[in-house]
Amino acid sequence: MSTFTAYVNGVSFWAPRLPGWQIAAPVLRGEAVAPLQPATRPVPTLLGPTERRRAPDTVAIALEVASRACESAGVDPQQLPSVFASTHGDLAISDYMSETLVRTPTLLSPIRFHNSVHNAAAGYWTIGTGCHEPYTALTAYEDTFGEGLLEALAQAACGDRATLLVAYDIEARGPLATMVSSRGLVGAGVVVSPHAQTSSLARVRWRTTQGGARTVALQSNAELVAGNAMATCLPFFEALARAEPRTVCVGLSPSLALELDIDFPAAGCADEG
Amino acid sequence: MAAPQTPEQKELAELIVAALNLEGIEPQDIDPDAALFGAGLGLDSIDALELALEISKRYGVQLKADDEDNKRTFASLRALSDFVQQNRAA
Amino acid sequence: MAAALRERRSGLRPNDFGESPLPTWIGRVPGIEAVALPRRLADWDCRNNRLAWLALTADGFLERAAAARIHYGADRVALVMGTSTSSIGATEEAYRRLLPDGRYPADLRRPIVHTPHSLGDFVRAALGLEGVVVTVATACSSSAKIFAQAERLIRLGLADAAIVGGVDSLCGSILFGFNSLELVSPEPCRPFDRARRGISLGEAGGFALLERDGEVGPWLLGYGESSDAHHMSSPHPEGYGARRAIQDALTRANLTPDAIDYINLHGTASQKNDEVEAGLVAGMFPARTLASSTKGWTGHTLGAAGIVEAVITFLTLQTGLVPGTLNAQELDPACGPQIRIHNESADVRFALSNSFGFGGSNCSLLFARARHA
Repeated sequence: MSTFTAYVNGVSFWAPRLPGWQIAAPVLRGEAVAPLQPATRPVPTLLGPTERRRAPDTVAIALEVASRACESAGVDPQQLPSVFASTHGDLAISDYMSETLVRTPTLLSPIRFHNSVHNAAAGYWTIGTGCHEPYTALTAYEDTFGEGLLEALAQAACGDRATLLVAYDIEARGPLATMVSSRGLVGAGVVVSPHAQTSSLARVRWRTTQGGARTVALQSNAELVAGNAMATCLPFFEALARAEPRTVCVGLSPSLALELDIDFPAAGCADEG
Repeated sequence: MAAPQTPEQKELAELIVAALNLEGIEPQDIDPDAALFGAGLGLDSIDALELALEISKRYGVQLKADDEDNKRTFASLRALSDFVQQNRAA
Repeated sequence: MAAALRERRSGLRPNDFGESPLPTWIGRVPGIEAVALPRRLADWDCRNNRLAWLALTADGFLERAAAARIHYGADRVALVMGTSTSSIGATEEAYRRLLPDGRYPADLRRPIVHTPHSLGDFVRAALGLEGVVVTVATACSSSAKIFAQAERLIRLGLADAAIVGGVDSLCGSILFGFNSLELVSPEPCRPFDRARRGISLGEAGGFALLERDGEVGPWLLGYGESSDAHHMSSPHPEGYGARRAIQDALTRANLTPDAIDYINLHGTASQKNDEVEAGLVAGMFPARTLASSTKGWTGHTLGAAGIVEAVITFLTLQTGLVPGTLNAQELDPACGPQIRIHNESADVRFALSNSFGFGGSNCSLLFARARHA
């Protein structure tokens, strides 16, 4: 089984008690305490006024982490193909749609309908940045983060270019919440590339592996994103924050995992890409 | 200087701002004769559909946003308000 | 399907779906309600997965998939599924039948059908696959993009083969959703017709097995993907993203436009898509390239459109019967000489299939009749 090498050139994170990588990273490595007051959801300043006023929570959070990851990498968003990964998509809109269909189906909001597609965040991102590079929007239930990361790494390897990954999930509402357990808001992003740059955060040597016990996040960190469907991304971001060599295993499907040997070569080393 | 709004225009202005989540605009600041679409408030065709929906829910008035006549109906707050008042369910 | 294309027999019918059907025409698949899933797959039971089962068990695909699983190993066959609404219909039903205490009725209390990966997970379980499993949901381009994604996985050696598929079923969300956008036609859709009045929604399921090697069957020669970056529900007015996707497919296949014998257009019969796509084709391709939309046969099957139209393209490559544009009577003046109303016979060696989606996601696939066409 081949091992591939990629570099994490940009990173971002957002949860109400970890609003931004600057705050999240020290907390994730146990050097700081998370703010007690949860932050309110970010405003998608990237979007023009028409799109901005229509943007639901999923879009706000996805665009926040997308923007910050690109800034962190020092890359123009217009240059990046992207992968948007969300386990359940916009759960608030799913609740709204099902509720409205019961009561007044002919009075369904066109704006909320066109926000209900799983690729809404990806669409708003490319509109907001004027990016013509392709995007994808995917899900793999509990393995959504893994499949999203795999797809970003695969696109980076195939295209020999930097690729953006945006992962997010929001809170379940209404009767749907009895079936789908996701609480709060979590967004996370990385820019991965086969090419290192002086500001690269980490090197990742990756492969797929059968079976594979999934890496678990620290309890104290897990509590900060408790119950969110995208909490599965946490071990990877913990490893990035800790800046110590570590192997992280993320699920791809019930029988397959993505094994990531994360290390931190000295700045300025030549890439193996 | 914008003409003052009638009570019906004010109520409709509030509906427009709420339905479309317009930022930085107070309902009472919408000039009754200013264009709603294109320039002016800058609404687009999806907004027209959303507004038609909200107006039908509130006032029981059916508006099919694609209709040629609707370009006049939607031209301004005054035109829209007049149409609503003339056609609203009792 | 080949017979229906040849005989110009549309699958559209007046809408009879749901309690108060909107006055429109739909491409409804008969018999879904009567499908009984094998007992071991009962947890995934819902209309969308029954349609997936119908597609899996059609044309000997289940046997072909089982053989691939044995030949390559269960963990070496990737599964990439495309959809737009997956089994949201099950959630809609649960809301209609909520218990007084606000819980779902017992028969619907199965979390896996109330999340978009319902489809991918069902097919994984149905086929016993143990490798990469993912559901792509990029609206109308979903089950075209799956081909590109699968090709990358195989190219990198992350899989030795891939099963790609798309399934989307009629549900309240899409019928009333598209209705709210006033995109739905009161009559059977007429792609590229000057008097077209919008789309006809449809449902479908389809699958394909992709392998690195093989002498039989069509060859995926190239693909192009792009974003319009314009508007969530309207295409770029100059077709910028669509043009780029088509161009990239040609470049990857090392072909020029004049090599293309047939294009299966996205052609939804919406005002804007057809206007833009017609202009694009007229400008990019020579008169000899035949083009049509087959949505008059199937309706717009959304997340399944990519796979359905890829399969129609395969039939065209294999038989030389080029479907025209069913239901079109008088073509829009924006159309060039390429777009045809009537069926034709031709020597089709290279063909394109376009899928352009909500949110500006574009995908164009380039297929060859054989490896050495």
